[in-house]
Formats: sequence, structure tokens, C-alpha cells
Amino acid sequence: MKILIIEDEKTLSDAIVEYLDGEGHLCEVVYTFEEAVEKIELYQYDCMVVDINLPDGSGLDLIRLIKKRSITVGIIIVSARNSLDNRIEGLEIGADHYLTKPFHLAELNAHLKSIHRRISFNGSNELILNEIKLIPEEHRAFVLDKELVLTKKEYELLLFFISNKNKIITKAGLAEHLWGDHMDAADSYDFIYTHIKNLRRELLKKGCRDYIKTIYGLGYKFDIT
Amino acid sequence: MRLLTKTTLNLLSISLFIYLFGVIAFYYSLRIQVDSNVNNEMGKRKNSIVRQMEEAHSSVSQPPNRNEMVIVTPVDKAIPKDRYADTLIFNKEEQRYQLFRQLGFSEIVNKQPYYIQIYKSLEETDRLIVSIITTMTVLVILLIITLLIVNRYSSRLVWKVFYDTVEKVNRYDLNTHEEFTLQDSDVKEFADLNRVLLTMTERIKNDYLNLKEYTENASHEIQTPLAIINSKLELLLQSGEMSEKQYKALADAYEASIRLSKYNSTLILLAKIENKQFPESKNVSPETIINALLENLDDLIRSKKLEVLKQLLPDVTLRMNPYLAEMLIVNLVKNAVRHNVKCGKLVVELSETFLRISNTGPDLRVDKNLLFKRFYKSSSSPESLGLGLAIVQKICALYGFEVGYEFEGKMHCMTVNFTQNKFGTITNNGTV
Repeated sequence: MKILIIEDEKTLSDAIVEYLDGEGHLCEVVYTFEEAVEKIELYQYDCMVVDINLPDGSGLDLIRLIKKRSITVGIIIVSARNSLDNRIEGLEIGADHYLTKPFHLAELNAHLKSIHRRISFNGSNELILNEIKLIPEEHRAFVLDKELVLTKKEYELLLFFISNKNKIITKAGLAEHLWGDHMDAADSYDFIYTHIKNLRRELLKKGCRDYIKTIYGLGYKFDIT
Repeated sequence: MRLLTKTTLNLLSISLFIYLFGVIAFYYSLRIQVDSNVNNEMGKRKNSIVRQMEEAHSSVSQPPNRNEMVIVTPVDKAIPKDRYADTLIFNKEEQRYQLFRQLGFSEIVNKQPYYIQIYKSLEETDRLIVSIITTMTVLVILLIITLLIVNRYSSRLVWKVFYDTVEKVNRYDLNTHEEFTLQDSDVKEFADLNRVLLTMTERIKNDYLNLKEYTENASHEIQTPLAIINSKLELLLQSGEMSEKQYKALADAYEASIRLSKYNSTLILLAKIENKQFPESKNVSPETIINALLENLDDLIRSKKLEVLKQLLPDVTLRMNPYLAEMLIVNLVKNAVRHNVKCGKLVVELSETFLRISNTGPDLRVDKNLLFKRFYKSSSSPESLGLGLAIVQKICALYGFEVGYEFEGKMHCMTVNFTQNKFGTITNNGTV
């Protein structure tokens, strides 16, 4: 997938690129509004990560421009401003997601993956990873064609793991993905453990290999290597 | 004590003191005057009596005046000096003592020494003095009363500006963004006071706004570096070349930076509520928010084995900002879940006039007012930010809701009363 990252903070965009690189994406980075407009006019991208506050313009204007030219591209907004207005406006003018800084790279990656699935197969795809098969729009998961009995949270957990396979996912990142801002991270660690225990048990029961590794004190890793 | 009362009392006590002193002095000076007059008169009388005695062979006719009396006694030896004195004489007719001035002297008439006493009544003069003093007293009291009334009235007029200023300063609130104006005064002191106050409030307001702007900017600017720290730490985690010890250190740093960003965004939220940056209002259904939230918190609720009791009146709507409505309810419910005990109760009651969220818990021995302070934490949950109830209070203050806490039958109850402003409307300029 070809991704354009528009983020004026170089260190942050570097980090994003580095994280996404391992996923087989082709990432390009621009730091200003002007550069972004230039790139959009010249090349075609599958997805864009847009910062709202750019030194020479607003990311929202950029999105408006894209929509005006009817360019089909998945858009994820990253912004330091956690205001509902910006969020609503961003989503209304055609962005797919709105992430507030600071965000977890795993979260960004999961959203990119979901956009990717949507645009590449019109959403009616199956996600296959070795013996695991997911049908995202039906929220169903299979191992060796046997359906897994999962709760909503466990299903989300599995999807998040698969989106970020071979990566260490922190407990805080998991908590935020599963419960949003409402749950304070520390409160939710015990439930993460419970959900992971249940998910692993269900996977093993249906004959899946044990991919979920616990990284002591940090989080988990869906290790398929 | 009010200044007016104080000055009035001072004036009154001093003038009364001076008046009392004056009356006594006046009385005595009058007395001395009268006495010397009487003495003078009696001196003249003495001469006439002597003359009369010389002519009429030692006899004296009593004066026709009832106020005067002459007693002539033959004596063996003349006393050389005249003697003046005051004396009381019993009046048989009126059955009382009367004050008389007495002059006693000796005179040799026809070679026979006599002791002659002249008595002159002082009743008349006394009466005169008393009536003079009384008239004066009445006059002075009238004068003082008039003065006091006039003083009070004029003072009240003059001090009106001052009281107005005090009232306005008292009501002044930096957060309301209201223009601070004071009444003009033609009294120099008050005009000075108002001028100084205006400059001072202007300066304070500017300092406050600068500080607030600085904090807000700082908070916003902090988000980006925090995002960098977080993402770099996350990348570092993926490198996979670290010992367990290094992982642990990294995990701690990662968690701390997430915590920091949560603090930061919460403080930004508080500042935004204070700045009334959530102007748009919609009809929101607390019931929907509560149900969604309880579902989201299901894991937490189940792990604590909490019994959830919902008494939600259907179709209750509040007109307020949807995001703030959610923040209000989320913080209250989260608070009630977090501070609950294992197998405790969580009661959510909603009616048209109030929202009450109660949870089981040990008796909190804390100051109720402290509960809503920023960064106030109970020792039982060191992980919480300590900002939840501060947000609740700010939101309630914005919409004119009343939030209260009480401990009742082992339940901690947080009640939000909508009654003060039932529809939660917010006017266009943002003031409630």
C-alpha cells in the first residue's frame, strides 16, 4: 500500500515510517502543505496520514482539496487538538479516522490496515493469516475453518493482533484500542489479561498454534515467525 | 461597624462630653455672677438698713418683699468683718427648706452694737438658672440631632460610590470575561480609589489572560513532543535486542509518558470548559450515554462483581454540549466504579431533575469540598489522575447544575441537580 505521510514534525514522521516499513508499505513523507499538494497532484496514494496543524496551512483544507478533486484515498487525521469540533469536521469532510496525539503506532497501523482492506477489496474480503481466517464485516473468525467463539472484545483483540503481527503491543496501546479513552490504562490491565487468556484458550482449542507471546511487564506479541 | 456609624458615634460622644462639661462650667459661672450680684445688692441694703436704724432709733421695718428678711440682734461686741454665706431656712407656709443668701455684719448704732443679718432668697435666681440651662440643653440636643441627621444623609450620598465599588469588586470574577466598570465620583478620594482599582484589575486580568494563554499554548505544544516520545519508545520496543531489565525500564518510561499526556489533555479540557469553548448545545439523552458507558465498562464492573441498579426515567433530555454531557457522566460513573468495593452496588438514578450515581464504599473521612479539587486523590487508587471530579464540577458550573456529595447508609452518592437550569440551555454569548 502506498501511504503519504504529511506531518511537519520530522522525528514523528520518521517514527511512523519506521513502524510501517516492516508492514510492506511504501511510505512517502512531506512536511508542508505545499509539498503535499504537489505530491497529490503527481502521484496516486492508497492512504494518507494528515496532521491538521501544518506550518503553511491546515490539514483540513488539504482533505477538502482531495475531496474536491474526487481522489479516492483513505485518510487518517492525526492532531494535537483533541477537540470534538475538529474531530467532527474532519470526519464530515471525508476522513476515515481521527487520532489524537500522542497516539500508539499500533493503533495507527490497525486503522491503516482496516482502510487498506476496505479500499482493496471493497470491504468484502477475508483476512487470512496462516491457519486463521477473519471476516471483518461479519465480525467472525475461523481457525482451520472452525469458527471461534469469541466475545466482541476478544474478536477486536484478535484483529488488532493480526494487524500488528510480529510487533510488541503495549498494554496501554491495547487498552486504548479496546476501551478508548474512558478506561484508565492501569485499571484495565487485569481485563486485558483475562481477554487474552480466553482468546488464547479458544485459539488453542480450535487447533491454532500458540502465537500470543507475553513480553514481561510490557505487553504482548502476536509472533508468527 | 460601618464608617458612618463609627463617625456618628464619635461625634455624638465627643459633643455630649463637651456639652456636659460646658453645662457644668456655665452653671458655675452663672452662679458666681448671680452671687456677686446678690452680694452687691445686699451691700447696698446694708447701708440703707444702717441709715434707717440711725434715723428710727434702732428699729428696722421688715422689707415688704417676701424674699428678703432682716434680723437685728443687739450684741455685746461688734464683729469687725462682714460675713457672706448660703443658708437654708425652713419655710413654715410651704413646709420646706429654701435657699437664702445671708449677710451678717455688726454695726454700732447709738453706741449699742448690733448684729444684723440680711437674708435674701435665691429661689428666683435659681429658677432662672435652671430654666436657662434647660433651654440651652434642649437647643443643643436639637442641634446635635439635626447635625447627625444631616451628616448621615450627606455621608450616605457621598459614600454611595464607595459602596457601589465595593459591591462590584466583590462580584468581580476573572472568568466571566465581563467588562469591569466603576461609577464616577466627584470626591477625589473615591475617584482615586476607583482609578487605582481599575488599573489594578486591568493588570491582573492581563496577567491572568497571559498566563492562561501561556499554559494553553504550552499544553498544546507539549502534545507533539509527547507523541514523538511515545512513538520512539514504541519503535524501540520493536527492536527486540534488549534485556528484560531494559524492557522494564522502557515500559516504565512508556507508561509515564502516556500518563503525562493524559494529564495534559485533561488539563486542556478543563481550561477549555473554563473558557466556554463548548458553545454548541444539542438535546442529549443521558440514558443513551449511561447505557453505552456501562456496556463499555462491563469488564471492570464484572471483575469487581458489582451489582448495577438502573433507575432511569425514559426520554429525559438535557440541552447541552454532547461531548461535555458524556464527560460528565463518564467521570461520575468511572469514579463510582473505581471507588467501589468488591461485590458492591452501583446505583444510577436519572430523573428529569437530577442524576444520582451511588456506590458502596467505606466511610470517606474527607472534606467534601476537597473532593472536587484538582489532583485530590484518595490513597486507595494512586493510579487515578485526580481530575475526574474537577471536570464534573466545572461542567456543572458551566450549565448551572448543582453537584453534591453525601454519604448515606454506606453509599457514596454524587448528585447532579438539573433544577437550577432545567434545560441546560446556554445563551449565545456563552454565559449561563
